[in-house]
Formats: sequence, C-alpha cells, structure tokens
Amino acid sequence: MSLVEELTPREAAGKALADLGDLRKDVVVLVADTGETTRAKFFAERHPERFFNVGIAEQAMAAIAAGLASAGLMPYALTFAAFMARAWEIVRNSIARLNLPVRLVGTHAGFSDPYDGPSHQALEDIALFRVLPNFTVIAPADSCETYRAVMASAEVRGPVYIRVGRDFHVPATCDMYKVFEVGRGYVALDGHDVAILTTGQMLSFALDAAHVLKEKGISAAVLHFPTVKPLDLALLSRYARSVKALVTVEEHVIHGGFGSAVAEALANIGPKPIAMMGVKGFGRTAKSPAELYQFFGLTPDNIAARAEELISIS
Amino acid sequence: MDSLAELACEARRRLLIMAAYDPGIHIGSSLSVIDILTALYGTGRVKFNAHNDAASRNYLVLSKGHAVHAIYALASVFGYLNQDELRETGSLGSRLQNHPEDDTPFVDLSNSGSLGLGIGMAVGLAMALRLKGSAGRVYLITGDGELDEGIAWESFAVIASYGLKNVITIVDLNGAQLDGPSEEVLRKGDLAGRFKALGFFVQTVDGHDMEGLVKALEAAEESGAPSVIIARTVRGKGVEGLEGSIKQRIPRDEALALAARTTCR
Repeated sequence: MSLVEELTPREAAGKALADLGDLRKDVVVLVADTGETTRAKFFAERHPERFFNVGIAEQAMAAIAAGLASAGLMPYALTFAAFMARAWEIVRNSIARLNLPVRLVGTHAGFSDPYDGPSHQALEDIALFRVLPNFTVIAPADSCETYRAVMASAEVRGPVYIRVGRDFHVPATCDMYKVFEVGRGYVALDGHDVAILTTGQMLSFALDAAHVLKEKGISAAVLHFPTVKPLDLALLSRYARSVKALVTVEEHVIHGGFGSAVAEALANIGPKPIAMMGVKGFGRTAKSPAELYQFFGLTPDNIAARAEELISIS
Repeated sequence: MDSLAELACEARRRLLIMAAYDPGIHIGSSLSVIDILTALYGTGRVKFNAHNDAASRNYLVLSKGHAVHAIYALASVFGYLNQDELRETGSLGSRLQNHPEDDTPFVDLSNSGSLGLGIGMAVGLAMALRLKGSAGRVYLITGDGELDEGIAWESFAVIASYGLKNVITIVDLNGAQLDGPSEEVLRKGDLAGRFKALGFFVQTVDGHDMEGLVKALEAAEESGAPSVIIARTVRGKGVEGLEGSIKQRIPRDEALALAARTTCR
C-alpha cells in the first residue's frame, strides 16, 4: 500500500480502476471529457477498448452507464463531483430505480479544488446521493482508502457513489486496518468522554483534534465512517451509549449529509448531545484547501473546542 | 403488408378497450407509434419472448414510455398477453404500469417515462453489444417533443462519434407535445438536417405506411452507418374522432364507442 500512499486521491482512484480492469473484464469506464482530470486515463491506457469519453455530457454519461449496466457490464462513470449532480434526475430514474450496478466516482469533491471556486466545489453530493434508494455512498479519507474503496465497490450489488478528492490528502488509514469493508466504520482512536465522527478527508483533522483534547484531559474517540450509506449502526450505537456527546465533522454542507445521517440514526438509538460541523453555504476561491478549511472553521482546534463545549454543558 | 396492417388495426381496437378501463393511458401517442411497433414486431426484428442471453437478439427501447400501452396491445394481439390482463392496466397490482417500470414485461430497457433517458440508455446498450461482439441491434423509438431534451443530442453525438451503426433511431414525428404543436412549443427546425450534420444516414417516411417503414428499416440496417428514420405520424391515427386531435385521454363511453366502430378487415 506504500505505493498508493504516495498517490493523490484521484490518482488512487484511477490506479484502482486500471487494476480492477485487469481483474474484471466486465468493468468499463466512462468520462465526460474528464479522462485526464479524474485520472481515469490510467484505465484508458491499459484498457482502451473499454473506455468511453462521451464529451462534456454528464446526463448522457449517466444514461449510457445505465444502458451498459443493464447489458451485464459494470460501468464506472467519472467526472467532477460538482457536475455529477447535473445528472441527478437521470441517476434517479435510470440507475437507482433499476438498482443497476453503476458506480459514479465524483472527483474534486469538497474543498479539494480551491482554485476553481464554488462552482467546482461539491459540498452537497453526499446528501444528493444518500437520498436515493438503493445507493451506497462512500467518502474515503485518503488515497489508500480511495484505492481500497474503488476496488471493494465492485462487490456491491446496486449503484454506488464514491466521493474522491483532487490532490490534497493526509494519509490516515493506510495502516489503520487491513481490509476495507463497504458499510463498515472504523475506530481510528478509542476514547470515552466524547466521540468525534468523521467521513472523508476530515479524519486526520479529527485525530489532531483528539490530541488537542487529550492535552486538556478529555478522552476523545475518533470514529471513521468511510461508508455514509449504509451507516455502521453497530459501531455508532456502541459509542453513542458510552460517551457524553458526539461531534460530526464533514467537508460538506451540514444539511442532509453525514451529520444528518448520524442524527437520523441517533433518533432511533437514543438521544445524545450532538454538534454537527460542516459548511453552511457555498465555497470560495482560494490558493489551497488548507485556506478553505481555516476559512470555514474546519480545523482541529475548532473541532476540539466544539467537543469541549458540548461535554461541559451536557 | 396487409396482414401487418390488420394486426395494427386489431391492436388499435384493443388500445381503445384499455382506454375504457384506464383513463390514464396516452391514447393519442400510442396510436401514432403503433404502426412503427407493428413493423418491428411483425417482421420478427424484435420479439416478445426474447431471452436476454440470446447471442444476437435485438433490443427495443421505447424512450417515449408513455406510449407503452401500444406494446401491451400488440403483445396481446401476438398472443403473449391475455386480453383480460389488458383491462387491469394502470392498477396497483398490475404489471402493466402506465410507464415502463422495472417489472414491466415486454420492454427491454424498462424505466422510460422521464423523456430523453431512453436515448442515452439505448446508446449504452449498443456499446455493450458491440463490446461483446454481438450482432444484435437496438431499435430506439423517440418522440419529437422528446428531442427538446439536451440529453437527446448529447446521446446522438455519442452515437455519431463512436460510429454506433447498431442503433437504429426511429422518430415518431407526430407533431404534438403537452403544450401544443411541437414546432410551436420549441422549434425543432430541419430535423433531417440536424441528424445529417452529425453524420447520420437519414430517411424520412410515412410512419403509417407499413411497406415504407419495413423498407426503411432494411435500408437502415444495410447502411453501415448510424441511422435515423424520421417517421411522420398522426396523433390518434386510425381512430375516427381521435385522428389528428391532440386529445391524449378519453372517457370510458367514448372509448368503447370508438372500439365498436373500429373494424379490422
């Protein structure tokens, strides 16, 4: 996995597709003029006959993927996460309703493309795909997990959405576990006062926040949920019962995303004070993802402060 | 050809009976497309009982899914559907839903209804057939109103770019859409010219002339190029009182009266 660790998230996705293409002859890849930018070109170089560039036409890409899947193939369709949303109604009607094994890979997700600004920064994609029946939604934390998630997605029966960053990532999962299981959450750090729950690239920030809290004598667990849907309820309920409060952190709007998924689950498991951290509007143009995390308050210090505040008043 | 016309006539009669039981069916659109469907099913190009794994089977994608009742009517005429079942169409428990769903019989890519999607799905199907080395073809039926959708032209451009000669597109040009005459709602312009500009082999035929339709299908199949047949049709065709009208739905009494008057030689 050390090789993958050195790749960017989108490169890891491209490499996984190329490797998957070696293993499975039914895998085909579609892009919307995004072979270069999503790194799907790694697949195209090895399997040119199974690679289709449909032009800047996300809607057609989604419907064509559905047609390929209905004929027994396993299509992976890649474009910027922000523009995958343009095909949402087609995804609903031609993929989700038929429960077809189409895999949508949205790259440049969250704040990973600071240069292009809010038009390119997908902060709503988890919500959009989570709401669709039959869909599995995965948001890997780093390149290692992106590679594993793409490989594992081939085993899922219905449609899958995988949320991938561009270049920014802090390796956090490479040695955390051996096998990636779709639908499983992972204990990144054990703790008993508060649990910080994350998905996607917020994992390393949550771990840093836990260390800040430890210095203040607060024991924080960090739970990582690369699969947002279905959510690992067993892991969630185990910690929800034992800690005083929960903090969810996501590189996404707080409405309808990962925090909402946790809150929905908590409504059944039993109430616990919960702070949902994320974005409340659209993004901004910036020089680096780090600037954006700072600007939108998604920093280890802020996460630690919210956790501390929540347990002090609960 | 006479026998095909007779089959189509009987299918029209059964459509009217369905309309008597279910006011939700789109009778006008079903009547405009039924001769095209008869030409495809009646010549064995597509079959009601094709197995998915058949090596060189052809596929039918009815992208204007609201006309699915024309397929139900034909299926009963060809003996694949009990006439009694036609009367249940649109009911909760019936598999004959008012747009093709995933459990709808006799349709290959089943979930049309949202316009334009079937066009893209037909492209994916054709790509898959080519990848698998299958000799099968995809017959894609679209409406003319449906061609307003951006995805339609995105998909046609993909057909042209990849030279997918195994898709034969048939436009049921009945000249009407929800808010009125198609050309008035949104300009379609020189449709044949638009397809030609993309590199399609284009034929324009009378969509109710069985012989002309079959000849056009043969020419499309032999063209060796991405192909479109623009079939000029009339809404409500073949039923006195409906022909040429923009009416999509009719009351029970009127439907039964029209069925009684529809006599097939």
